[in-house]
Amino acid sequence: MPFISKTQRQSDYNLFTSSCPIVIDNGASYFRIGWAGETDPRIIFRNIVQRPRHKVTGETVTIVGDHDPALMKYFDCTRSGPRSAFDSDVVFQFEIMEYILDFGFDRLGANRSQIDHPVLITECACNPVQSRSKMAELLFESYGVPSVAFGVDAAFSYKYNQQLGVCDKDGLAICSGFTTSHVIPFVNGEPVYEACSRTNVGGYHVTDYLKQLLSLKYPHHMSRLTWEKVEDLKMEHCYVAPDYASEARLIQQGTKDIEEKTRCWQLPWTPSPVEEPPSEEEIARKAALKEKQGQRLREMAEAKRTSRINELENESKGLEFLLQQLRHVEGSDIPSFLSETGYVSKQEIESALLKVTQSLRKAKGELVETEEKVDPSTAEKYSLINIPDNMLTPEQLKEKRKQLFLKTTSDGRQRAKQKRFEEELERERQNKHDEEKRLENPELYQEQLRAKYNELSEKVEQRKRLKTNGGHTNGNHSMSGAVGRGERLNAAQKERMRLLTTAAFDRGKGEDTFGIKDEDWQLYKLMSKDNDDDNEGPDEDEAELTRISSRLKEIDPTFVFKSESGSSAAEVPRIRPLTKEDFQIVLGVERFRCPEILFHPNLIGIDQAGLDEMVGVSLRRFPSKGEEGLDERMTNSILMTGGSCLFPGMDERLEAGIRMIRPCGTPIQIIRALDPILDAWRGAAAYAAAMQFPQQTFSRMDYYEKGEDWLQRYQPRYNL
Amino acid sequence: MEQEVIEADIVLPTHLSFKKVQMYEKYPKGQARGRHWKHLKQIIQAENYQNYPPDESNYVNIESPPSMHPCKRICDITGYEAPYYDPRTNLRYANADVFKLIRSLPNEYVQRYLSLRNAAVVLK
Repeated sequence: MPFISKTQRQSDYNLFTSSCPIVIDNGASYFRIGWAGETDPRIIFRNIVQRPRHKVTGETVTIVGDHDPALMKYFDCTRSGPRSAFDSDVVFQFEIMEYILDFGFDRLGANRSQIDHPVLITECACNPVQSRSKMAELLFESYGVPSVAFGVDAAFSYKYNQQLGVCDKDGLAICSGFTTSHVIPFVNGEPVYEACSRTNVGGYHVTDYLKQLLSLKYPHHMSRLTWEKVEDLKMEHCYVAPDYASEARLIQQGTKDIEEKTRCWQLPWTPSPVEEPPSEEEIARKAALKEKQGQRLREMAEAKRTSRINELENESKGLEFLLQQLRHVEGSDIPSFLSETGYVSKQEIESALLKVTQSLRKAKGELVETEEKVDPSTAEKYSLINIPDNMLTPEQLKEKRKQLFLKTTSDGRQRAKQKRFEEELERERQNKHDEEKRLENPELYQEQLRAKYNELSEKVEQRKRLKTNGGHTNGNHSMSGAVGRGERLNAAQKERMRLLTTAAFDRGKGEDTFGIKDEDWQLYKLMSKDNDDDNEGPDEDEAELTRISSRLKEIDPTFVFKSESGSSAAEVPRIRPLTKEDFQIVLGVERFRCPEILFHPNLIGIDQAGLDEMVGVSLRRFPSKGEEGLDERMTNSILMTGGSCLFPGMDERLEAGIRMIRPCGTPIQIIRALDPILDAWRGAAAYAAAMQFPQQTFSRMDYYEKGEDWLQRYQPRYNL
Repeated sequence: MEQEVIEADIVLPTHLSFKKVQMYEKYPKGQARGRHWKHLKQIIQAENYQNYPPDESNYVNIESPPSMHPCKRICDITGYEAPYYDPRTNLRYANADVFKLIRSLPNEYVQRYLSLRNAAVVLK
């Protein structure tokens, strides 16, 4: 039941005589203004002021109260939020108060040169005189009000309900407002301020607590939890639990009644389009397309190959023809004949032919076996190797060196081949061994393999980490670019820096023995910049790791290759499609946790008594205990008023709380005011309409003559 | 100003006929002015309540005393009864699940939960 502002400008201002008082209920949350003797205030609006900048013209404008949020798009509100003139029910910012009064009088229809009506305005109990005098001054000086009266809203509400027979002349008013809660005792219809008590907790705190709790619970929907929305949620869903602990336990245990206890606010949510799995047709179509493309590529490759074969065949034919021709040519004519073809000698043509035939064979897909062709005449090929140097001519020596080189390289190749073959054998053997083991006890084997895999992968990871010393270890992702210098170096670079610094600082310390040993010079090699051993190639562990992982893959279908999962770990919080539930704001415990602060203010860190205890405090503070049965009479007529008394369950809880602190058998009756929100204004309007009201007001003259001391003691009589 | 805004009549006019002193006269534009109001604390201090007789009611002495009831301990996160207290975060919690949650909370959230009951660390 959100309150609706009433800000329609009134047109009948001039119909009221200047003796008719204007009645203002200046509450911390709402400002209500109207005419004495009427039943409802004419104008109601939230007691806040915003001073945003108009976007087009750039001028600062004043906006009072709540307005259509859609209109706020024309204003730049970033530099000033809504402001209130109140702090704990005391008006302290009179510039804001003036804007509010301006707006109130303007909407009431005031159009003469000054406000020519007495004004009755409410204030909090025991308002500091500074605030009271500033208010009086403002009304007298700025608006030209002839006379002013101050009264307490709770008292007006009590009087109004007393006149309607809801409560007795002796009683208590529990007034829980926006920022404060009061308990005011009444004796013979007059408030006894000596015995009243105030706790600085009210509806504002409840809403704020709810807002904070919800925005902590749903950080993603923080922008939706505006003050106004949370206020609405509070009014609609919050209630006072008869006993907080048992109510919370009920929710904690999760019995089935909690479903009706929890409320859920569904935020606007549109399901994200569901990705349908591609249909059979689609898959077939795609496969066909792929096949077609593959076919085309294969055809192209085939065409290329045949053209190359043709080319090579032509070339070899040409060369063969050349050789045939060459056979017929005389020896002396060879050079002149060859000069036309571009070849130097017959050997060259032959080698070219050999090359062409080889590549032709390769192109045709035959195995090229040049390497396999082990020369049978090794001894002949390397004829010069075994002959001592001194028996050879310089030319032969050159030849010998060449042969030697050729021999070592071919030997080396041979050895490598041998080694590969042996490795192959070894692997085969190991595989066989593994297989045997597996057959013996497949589970144990798999377990062992897994353990080994884990160990190895750990090791490899560790090595990698050491090498890069990446940001992962210190949780600093290098993306930020603001990593310290030390963190960017890898292990090798660090070692180099260490060497450099020790070398720099060792100089001139003791005797310099550097260079005595040959190893000393190795230092420079280590220091050199290109010493980074990045190119050491895959080491044994990695090779073993790949072997084991492939093996594991073979025998264990559930196995996931870790480095794959590891690499994707960074992006693993896979974006889950948002569901309806993600856009729900669930109110469970919050529904009664928030109003609970009225009874236990220390839940929000305010070390004061709650509403029920305040009744006891007020009764204890009562100055004259003389009168018999006064306490009983008072507890028999307890009136709840103020906006925060609207929570369901408030009266039962108050009664239970008060019963605990009063003697057994005390009559306790708790009544809710007829309209906890508007009764204060109605009471004030009735009061101002009374014949004796002018005697309770003071004029500008009084104000300046009597001084502050008098103003401090000023108190209207409520019984007229 | 847009037609819509004018029709809604939400902007307070700068000149109001019923005022003897207009806002723009009181607070002239473009003139630097210091804070011309007092905080509630300063107001109360200026009242010098200590000079008044203690049996006379005033704004300060009508305040309620601290509660006589034992302080209710509720879980900062869930609102259930909280038998436990986490010395690392200073949060109260109801059960092991909540404990897991509070240990995974970033410090900013811990401080916000603490500030709900006015127990957060305030750096000045």
